Amino acid sequence: MIDYKRFSLDNGLRVLVHEDKSTPLVAMNLLYDVGSRDEDPAMTGMAHLFEHLMFGGSQNIPDYDTPLQLVGGENNAFTNNDITNYYLTIPSENIETGFWLESDRMLELDFSQKNLDTQKNVVIEEFNQRYLNQPYGDAILKLRPLAYKIHPYRWPTIGMEIAHIENTDLEQVRNFFFSHYAPNNAILAVTGNIGYDLAYKLSQKWFGPIEKREIQLRKMPVEPKQKQERILIIEKDVPSTALYKVWHIGPRKSKDFYTLDLISDLLAGGESGRLNTNLVRKKKLFSEINAYLTSDIDPGLIIIQGKLMKGVNIEYAEQSINEVIKDLQKNIIKDEMEKVKNKFESSTVFSNTSILNKAANLSFFELLGNPGLINNEVDAYRNVSQSMVIEALRKYFIPSNCSTLYYKSSQKDK
Amino acid sequence: MMNNLQRIQPPVFPIEKVVIPEAKTFRLNNGVPVYLIEAGTEDIMRIEFTFRAGQVREYLPLLSSTCNMMLSEGSQNYSSEELNRLLDYYGIFLNQSAEKDMAGIVLYFMNKHIEKVLELSREILFRPVFPETELNALMKKRLHWYLVNREKVQNLAMDMFFESLFGKHHPYGYQVFEQDFENLTPALLSDFHLKYYTTGNMAVIISGKIHNKTTDLLNTYFGNIGSKEIHVEDSHNFLKGEKEKKVHIFKSETVQSAIRIGSTTINKRHPDYPGLKIFDSFLGGYFGSRLMKNIREDKGYTYGISSSLSSLDLTGYKVISTEVSQKNCQKTIDEIYSEIKQLQSVPVKKEEMAVVRNYMSGEMVRMFDGPFALAESFRSVWEFGLDNTYYYTLAEKIKTIDPDEIIELARTYYIIDELYEVTVGSE
Repeated sequence: MIDYKRFSLDNGLRVLVHEDKSTPLVAMNLLYDVGSRDEDPAMTGMAHLFEHLMFGGSQNIPDYDTPLQLVGGENNAFTNNDITNYYLTIPSENIETGFWLESDRMLELDFSQKNLDTQKNVVIEEFNQRYLNQPYGDAILKLRPLAYKIHPYRWPTIGMEIAHIENTDLEQVRNFFFSHYAPNNAILAVTGNIGYDLAYKLSQKWFGPIEKREIQLRKMPVEPKQKQERILIIEKDVPSTALYKVWHIGPRKSKDFYTLDLISDLLAGGESGRLNTNLVRKKKLFSEINAYLTSDIDPGLIIIQGKLMKGVNIEYAEQSINEVIKDLQKNIIKDEMEKVKNKFESSTVFSNTSILNKAANLSFFELLGNPGLINNEVDAYRNVSQSMVIEALRKYFIPSNCSTLYYKSSQKDK
Repeated sequence: MMNNLQRIQPPVFPIEKVVIPEAKTFRLNNGVPVYLIEAGTEDIMRIEFTFRAGQVREYLPLLSSTCNMMLSEGSQNYSSEELNRLLDYYGIFLNQSAEKDMAGIVLYFMNKHIEKVLELSREILFRPVFPETELNALMKKRLHWYLVNREKVQNLAMDMFFESLFGKHHPYGYQVFEQDFENLTPALLSDFHLKYYTTGNMAVIISGKIHNKTTDLLNTYFGNIGSKEIHVEDSHNFLKGEKEKKVHIFKSETVQSAIRIGSTTINKRHPDYPGLKIFDSFLGGYFGSRLMKNIREDKGYTYGISSSLSSLDLTGYKVISTEVSQKNCQKTIDEIYSEIKQLQSVPVKKEEMAVVRNYMSGEMVRMFDGPFALAESFRSVWEFGLDNTYYYTLAEKIKTIDPDEIIELARTYYIIDELYEVTVGSE
């Protein structure tokens, strides 16, 4: 059971505090309710580029990292479709420096041309390193626009193309900041060796004076229901063919979420998952295969992806995946349900041993409107029944809801 | 009042001296050493079974790693399928690994399942049967993974870097080739297992909120296993770096080049090691390091650049790693050398000394935060025959090292002519 307390400042900043005396550290997680879904389609990659700029200095602090390192702190950040998330850990005696740093860059960034130019280059190198210079690295760049036609999830967080990053100017950066970065668009979680009173006092002191801002209204286009099976075939110089299949599912808060999460675990959780057991171990069609949910706030995807063994026919491999799913509908073993539930429980317990994970989870669950999920998720998952699984399989795993990417190897078999 | 807030850095307090809980030591009935580290608030544990059975012991490429991976592919009492199902059923996380020196397994689990964990661990470690069908399937998969990995410039660079440093014939250094995946047989694996996965060659490291029956149960499951004396011939391979200091591998159609620069060096047993660790931080060991500041934050040549210092049983090594766009490759290499020269000639200023001292003091707090970090930190000195004294020495050195020592370390351990330089790219 994770105890936490929650309060809001007058400027709208929501704060959650969880005390854990067993660690000498404090973790801070500051979530901004802005992600790549909030971008202009002509300027994609902005939310993520902006995350980089957040380290380039703020109104009263020329450089974010140095003062943090000076108090023994460490930090990082990530951006996804929905959120931009900044986090740090600091030995508890110096936690006030964390509040000073995070509040100053919420107050106002130092918008410098030099910093923008450098970070554009860094992000372009990140694009190169992670998406273009890795085998299969660009699969997600192909898959998203196949599955989404209208919704901003059709582009990846890094951006649709490098040109969008290159073309960003300082004025756009400034506008982005003032329309998304604000106390009333953020959630702060503080966990670890800090009491509620101190966390409250420091939040008031450092974040309290920052004024509320007008947040750009979110008008999210609704992705029209997919009516027909989609397939894309590409050929690349990679050692083996890969297969990606995605199905539309509901939003993170939909009632089917945990059922689908459980389904992904039945299929691919651990070594004993059905896909691994049947298609890697028994039939030897794939060298590896995985299934997972994107867990997006707007309607997301369940993804199955695998790399084929040499010489395996891709249509046969795909048909075999479909058979595993079909078989799951007819033939769920009670023990197997219990198995994935036990594993979920144990991974939740393990995840919550880290103050950083606890801070990240508290902020995200607060964004979903239910911080109590940090303690209730295991029950929600345990409550999934066999009939719920069967119903969800029938509802979501239908061809007209599916997009498939054949990522074929152009290398000849030796 | 609020509006008059002075937005200046709050007082910086010295980081409290790190206190490291000592591991309790005892021996099983058959002499196996067990180390217990009590920590954490949840009813969970981490158990590591570690053996001197890493790559350095192998007489064929892939032997040590394959033997380790095959441990869970079937035992006297369970098929691989049953083993995997049971591990998942009890919510146990099993990590198998074979490093350059050590090999073994680590299990993470909820305390209530301790008995099952020990029973399955015994099957995995002492009763594996190395079935041929599973072996063939594993080698086919591994070949696939290998082929994908060899498409990545960073892997090509690292493999070549190790070959350059340690030599083509030493297990620390040799590269793996496609035909190596066809050479392993169940008999070879059994033989390796018999020689190196013995109780005489094993230690157990346990951390978490330790179950009160742990010691009794360990004796029940492992205390009676004997160790057969098996003659193991000494390896005739010597560590010997390749002559060529600069190696370039051509890889067509790459967007970025990979760079690895470094050489062999002292390991943790050497008194200069803590100092060198601090030097490494200045150079490329953290986000605010010279290399990051210059090559990423000033020039934007890369998404990341870092240096690291590693200890092995027979030696140590240091390496600077980065991936940069083709056109900036040579410029980056020049900058790397220039940063090293800078540290060899110009004393580090007070401000930067303070940042590194405090950053590293914070790192030390993180290294001992919680049961998992504690166990890993324990393992990484224990395997060199050292204890927490190493960490206390490092902590002291972080406080006392001065700019002259940094220059001295840079001149002694970063002789530029002795560094290997490996690049991979399409130029």
